[in-house]
Amino acid sequence: MNLQELRTALDIKKISAAELTQQYLDKISALDKSINSYITVCPESAMQDAERAQKIIDAGSAGALCGIPLSIKDNICTSGVKTTCASRMLEDFVPFYDAFVIERLKADNYVMLGKTNMDEFAMGGSSQTSFFGGPKNPYDITRVTGGSSGGAAAAVAAGLCAAALGSDTGGSVRQPAAFCGVTGLKPTYGTVSRWGLIAFASSLDQIGVVANSAFDTGYVLNTIYGADKNDATTSSKSTGNYTGKCGMDLKGLRIGIPKEFLDGSSEEVRNAALKAADYYKSIGCEIVECSLPSLEYAVSAYYLISSAEAASNLSRFDGIKYGHRAEMTSDYSELISNSRAEGFGDEVKRRIMLGNYALCSGYYDAYYNNARRIRTQLRKEYAEIFEKCDVILTPTAPTTAYKIGEQESDPVKMYTADICTVTVNIAGLPAISTTCGYGANGMPIGMSIIGKAFDEKTIIAVCDRFEKDFNRKEAVL
Amino acid sequence: MFDSELTRHLAVLSKLSFTDDELAKMTSDMTDIIALMDKVCDFNPEIKPYALDAVDYKDLRKDNHNPSSETENIISNAKNIKNNSFVVPKVV
Repeated sequence: MNLQELRTALDIKKISAAELTQQYLDKISALDKSINSYITVCPESAMQDAERAQKIIDAGSAGALCGIPLSIKDNICTSGVKTTCASRMLEDFVPFYDAFVIERLKADNYVMLGKTNMDEFAMGGSSQTSFFGGPKNPYDITRVTGGSSGGAAAAVAAGLCAAALGSDTGGSVRQPAAFCGVTGLKPTYGTVSRWGLIAFASSLDQIGVVANSAFDTGYVLNTIYGADKNDATTSSKSTGNYTGKCGMDLKGLRIGIPKEFLDGSSEEVRNAALKAADYYKSIGCEIVECSLPSLEYAVSAYYLISSAEAASNLSRFDGIKYGHRAEMTSDYSELISNSRAEGFGDEVKRRIMLGNYALCSGYYDAYYNNARRIRTQLRKEYAEIFEKCDVILTPTAPTTAYKIGEQESDPVKMYTADICTVTVNIAGLPAISTTCGYGANGMPIGMSIIGKAFDEKTIIAVCDRFEKDFNRKEAVL
Repeated sequence: MFDSELTRHLAVLSKLSFTDDELAKMTSDMTDIIALMDKVCDFNPEIKPYALDAVDYKDLRKDNHNPSSETENIISNAKNIKNNSFVVPKVV
């Protein structure tokens, strides 16, 4: 049942908002101990949300998400509810304001089930850097969920929420969606306000949606998009009605496939992506071979830019205004450095160190400025592709989900695994990932459809068409 | 070349403290990471570095005064407060 059908079921009183919410809470209670997808579950406030929503439904004035139970990634501020960023640093942090997206969802009378697990401060591709222990993949609990929105993807895949909000700085919505066999949408930079999203890399961060289908991602985006006076990077170019093109005839649509993405992927991932391209060809799309020559520089450029921004953004965590505080010392600087040493995990420290290295006098031009040059070049190369293509198809990750503990201790291996997703953030484009096959190990394989800036409608429609004819296997816990 | 002295310097800039063992591990990790980052060093210097173009400066909100957050909210997450102020070690 998609979200629109759920909406209808609530409106015609086939099920009440309280019954629906209780079903999800019962499922979380029964299953989440196996996958650890939530950091905080909010049973009491969720039932209050449901009761409030039911009154609106009964009055006949329900909005799209009224009474629909969603989960929220734990780096999105929720007034009165812990927002930990999966870090010891913010273990007890309770925001006194809501993020813009939460204000929007509340205005629509949604139900918040809880806050989902993630990589600490959204830095990682496995979600195993969480201070609260990593989530597990519902398709195989010995494997990672991907990250950083791993809890969101696992919760959707296991049916522990109707849909989820995540955030995507370098693939953090799309890659876990691919690993967990669900759909993840990263909107164009500027489509969704970052107000209240705890900042990682401000020129790359974007709130996105994880759901059971492309249609559902657009359905949620319809509520959370839009200009916000508190985020000057939000754009008035966002159009809304993101499901508006679903069902359109795709005949003649030009789909570009940059060869470099296929070269860097495993054989089964490459074959699944090519099979998806064959499907699109069979319905009348034109497949266009194209190239993104600077892809080889993308991972390094991404890590330099994102870490430089993170080093600055995370300087606010000093244990004084908020956050973990070390035992009182006699020295001000020592208080801060001890608080940060105790509060941050290893990966966060590596990113801060890398960011400060890239910004150091003497290294700045060779590293940070060159990363910015690569960013210019990648944007140009994408623009050239979009002169002859309407959308681009790539694998979402070079492999399927790997075993927990297999590669998280090797930062370089972890970083290079982001090759398929980071360019989208570098170029500020929208992209959506959906399942296009299954590996020999039974794990889902994801493909991404990348679109022109602010053309979410088209990529959602392209993905929706594929999903309608694809035989998706549900995770069984 | 990345060495423990550079790690110490970066730790100071990053306001992080490390034990000797942690410092050695961080130096090793950073050596590998910087080797990966070195990829960018030979990139075409003729290209103009990207500057964020997402902000439309003609469309910024008016610079109006709005009520500030309440003091009790601002200090609500601090671990050590006194008389509506953050407590820190003596600085001067």
